[in-house]
Amino acid sequence: MEQQLRETAKKLLTEKTVDVVIGYGRVESGQIGAIFVSNPDEVERLVWNQECRQNLVVYLTRKEVQKLGKAAIVVKGCDAKAIVVLANESQIKRDELVVIGMICNGIIEESQRTNGNPWADSNDSSNKLPIYEKCETCVEHQPKNVDIVIGDPAAANPDTLSKAERDQKGKYAKLAKLKAMTQEERFAYWKKEFSRCVKCYACRQNCPLCYCNQCVVDKNRPIRIDTSATLKGNFAWNILRAFHLAGRCVGCGACSSACPAGIDLDLLNLSLSIAAEDNFNFVSGKELGTAPLIGTFSENDREDFIR
Amino acid sequence: MAKIGVFTCWCGENIARHVDCQKVSEAIAKLPGVHCSVNYKYMCSEPGQAMIAEKIKSLGLTAVVVASCSPHMHLKTFRKAAENAGVNPYLVEMANIREHCSWVHSDKEIATQKAIELIEIAVEKVRHNHSLQPIEVPVTKRALVIGAGVAGIQAALDIAAAGHEVVLVEKEPSVGGKMAGLSETFPTLDCSQCILTPRMVEVGQHPKIKLMTWSEVEKVEGYIGNFKVTIRKKARYVDISKCTGCGNCWNSCPNKKIPNSFDYNLGNRTAIYVPFPQAVPARPVIDATQCLKFKTGKCGICQTKCAAGAINFEDKDEIVVEEVGAIVVATGYQLYQIGKEQENPNLAGYGEYGYGKYKDVIDSLQFERLISASGPTNGEPKRPSDGRIPAKIVFIQCVGSRDNAKGVSYCSKICCMYTAKHTMLYRHKVHDGEAHVFYMDIRSGGKKYDEFVRRAIEQDGAIYHRGRVSKITEEEIDGVKKLIVRGADTLTGRPVTIEADMVVLAAAMTPTTGAESLAQKLSVGYDEYGFLSESHPKLRPVETNSAGVFVCGACQGPKDIPESVAQASAAAAKVLIMLSQPHLTREPEIAKVNENLCAACGACVKTCPYQAITIEEIRDRKGNFVKKTARVNPGLCMGCGTCVAVCPSKSVDLEGFTEEQVYAQVESLM
Repeated sequence: MEQQLRETAKKLLTEKTVDVVIGYGRVESGQIGAIFVSNPDEVERLVWNQECRQNLVVYLTRKEVQKLGKAAIVVKGCDAKAIVVLANESQIKRDELVVIGMICNGIIEESQRTNGNPWADSNDSSNKLPIYEKCETCVEHQPKNVDIVIGDPAAANPDTLSKAERDQKGKYAKLAKLKAMTQEERFAYWKKEFSRCVKCYACRQNCPLCYCNQCVVDKNRPIRIDTSATLKGNFAWNILRAFHLAGRCVGCGACSSACPAGIDLDLLNLSLSIAAEDNFNFVSGKELGTAPLIGTFSENDREDFIR
Repeated sequence: MAKIGVFTCWCGENIARHVDCQKVSEAIAKLPGVHCSVNYKYMCSEPGQAMIAEKIKSLGLTAVVVASCSPHMHLKTFRKAAENAGVNPYLVEMANIREHCSWVHSDKEIATQKAIELIEIAVEKVRHNHSLQPIEVPVTKRALVIGAGVAGIQAALDIAAAGHEVVLVEKEPSVGGKMAGLSETFPTLDCSQCILTPRMVEVGQHPKIKLMTWSEVEKVEGYIGNFKVTIRKKARYVDISKCTGCGNCWNSCPNKKIPNSFDYNLGNRTAIYVPFPQAVPARPVIDATQCLKFKTGKCGICQTKCAAGAINFEDKDEIVVEEVGAIVVATGYQLYQIGKEQENPNLAGYGEYGYGKYKDVIDSLQFERLISASGPTNGEPKRPSDGRIPAKIVFIQCVGSRDNAKGVSYCSKICCMYTAKHTMLYRHKVHDGEAHVFYMDIRSGGKKYDEFVRRAIEQDGAIYHRGRVSKITEEEIDGVKKLIVRGADTLTGRPVTIEADMVVLAAAMTPTTGAESLAQKLSVGYDEYGFLSESHPKLRPVETNSAGVFVCGACQGPKDIPESVAQASAAAAKVLIMLSQPHLTREPEIAKVNENLCAACGACVKTCPYQAITIEEIRDRKGNFVKKTARVNPGLCMGCGTCVAVCPSKSVDLEGFTEEQVYAQVESLM
């Protein structure tokens, strides 16, 4: 797969279809991170393995990346949904972007990695190492709405998962546990979690859908959110961020992975995603051309309460 | 820093009775930036306004707070007073210490404290105010009237008489609306068509009125003074510019047994038809759902008979766009569905009355057609089942009206009057007939209205029973079908059973089908029943909260003919006020986008109920693309603030109600 990816990138760059390929590579720290390849001779730097965790879509809205010219981007199925949302929210022009979708059966959990030893081309289904919780309920093993698919679709795990099955696994199970708590218990849980938040805003910086030119938390006339890392300010910030992603979050998990305090931030988003799905049959990032859930009105909506 | 003057009003003793105004003034005087804090018996009076002007001039005040009644009452007064004294009117704020304070509290000490806090909030707001200039928008000097019943006709004629062009859109093939189908009208018993048809003819002939019948409004874009309205002209299959209205077509149409909707299905019509003889335009339309040419491909007799060659089976719907400055909605009413099956699931209906099951149980509009000279029986009150003249008719009022359990909560207003009229007209035609009326209350407010009901009872012998009917059944007695009406007379406390030949149900008035979707197209509010909402029930009865859109007639609430006509003229007057200006001035308290910060996510565009926001591109002087941004059209924005609420980065703000102001207000309380 890795070789296939490199060949594709080389072709795109030599034929000048794109100016830059945004992909995964080994960065200075030895970890896998984002690299930007403009020279066709450097495609060997591109890497694909089960360590490729980051959602690279976050770079598409960065001005310095946009300056590199027309881009191709390497995405997993979960990340690809963020591209759909960005296009639907007029942040990118989808037809000016080449999306390379990787068949992915899950990213290996950090603690299980052997330091400095990449699983070369390790989409081997015999690999039984534990994958991320969010990968357990993945239905995007085969990326959708992409231009080029890399990997053998036959090797992909099935993208069908019943609701009942889903709710037993990974993040869904975790959320179910939270929802089973009393309000007080749940509040205590979040109080404990948010007390660790240091307001580093890594969640925001890593979220592909947090693209505002100036975040509301950075505005000071008036100050809406307590900027210091107090419990009150932490609650305000994290809840507000969840609301700003209501009906938008695609569940890529970038926020949780980035959180240095290890808070399961994506549980907040997941809860809202489930609400969107259950009430309005809306799954964010599923289709190009759909209007955002918040801000659309349909006469068929369950809005009897307005009458 | 602003030099603020605070003027506290006693409102006679409206405020002063429960608020210690002197104490308020003294407390407010201590606030930073407040250079003067005084109180007076009537701030809105001329001496009160003069006091404000004097303080502005002598102390050099730059901002004013008036603590008095609701800004709905006197904000304009005080803004004007301040403007005349040289302060920008948008640097004037009001603290409502009457409706929000003195009127709702009785403990003087606490009310005084609350008044002080309310004023503190206003002071905090005015401190963050800045000067605003009114917005000017151009105005297209044409009007659109939707619905050509008596209200729409009146509004169109009035606007046209003032010299402005009017586009009059009617969804039926003819103008006239419900009134064209009525027999006589209360309280004078003059013939409905005789008084309406001259107006209908005038509408048809008026050079300033562009009449579009068999047409519906599809889409409304633009804003006050500058609407772009898309209208669908439904395929008529008859070229009305060629047609002479000779009648050869409908006389030769072989398909004669189609229920005539104009007669509420009591009579029949042909597939090509003119709904009634006085129709305007008196040109037929082909009912494509019934016409044999469309159903089987054969026939086409009308086409061969038409000497003018006006019939065109290939006719298609046509879309036209009209530009207008103002819109009058006059879409009228229909009767509440009496049967069990309801469009609105909240209504249960009256299955026990047998409407739709027993042929001789009809509604009031059907009865109008039965006794109308132009109706299916030429005015003979023959009952639908066997054509016999009924010897006994039971009229039931409030069928659906004033019934929280099964119908609507409101009074339909006209039923008491028309039922009295029905009894009279029936008795005038059948001298020995018995007219029984079941009623809850008789509501006959209006000039000569109560006299009219008294006349029905005292001179024309209508028999009134105060009570409701529980059930109607049909039985054959001596070979004749009779309707057994079981009810109660609550005045005598006895059950009443009447063997009637016919039953007429005075069904509730509801807005016409499609009123809600039209309201959505126009961004006009409507209530739970679909009646359009006026801007203020007393002081702005024909305006809506969508600027440039006006309402009249029964689409706004149940109304009789005189009221509908009066309201139509009122709406026309409001339109004429608009059209007589060279340009329109609008309040500048609207949304404003910080284009540097906006990420152009489009959340506001989708949420704006007035379609006032668009995504635009910012380009530098050389024309290079810089970024996208949301932009507010000042002509369209109504200042509702929905965009501010949804903007994730708060890049949009509401002038005069900025986030900064609101936060400052809230903080002043903490």
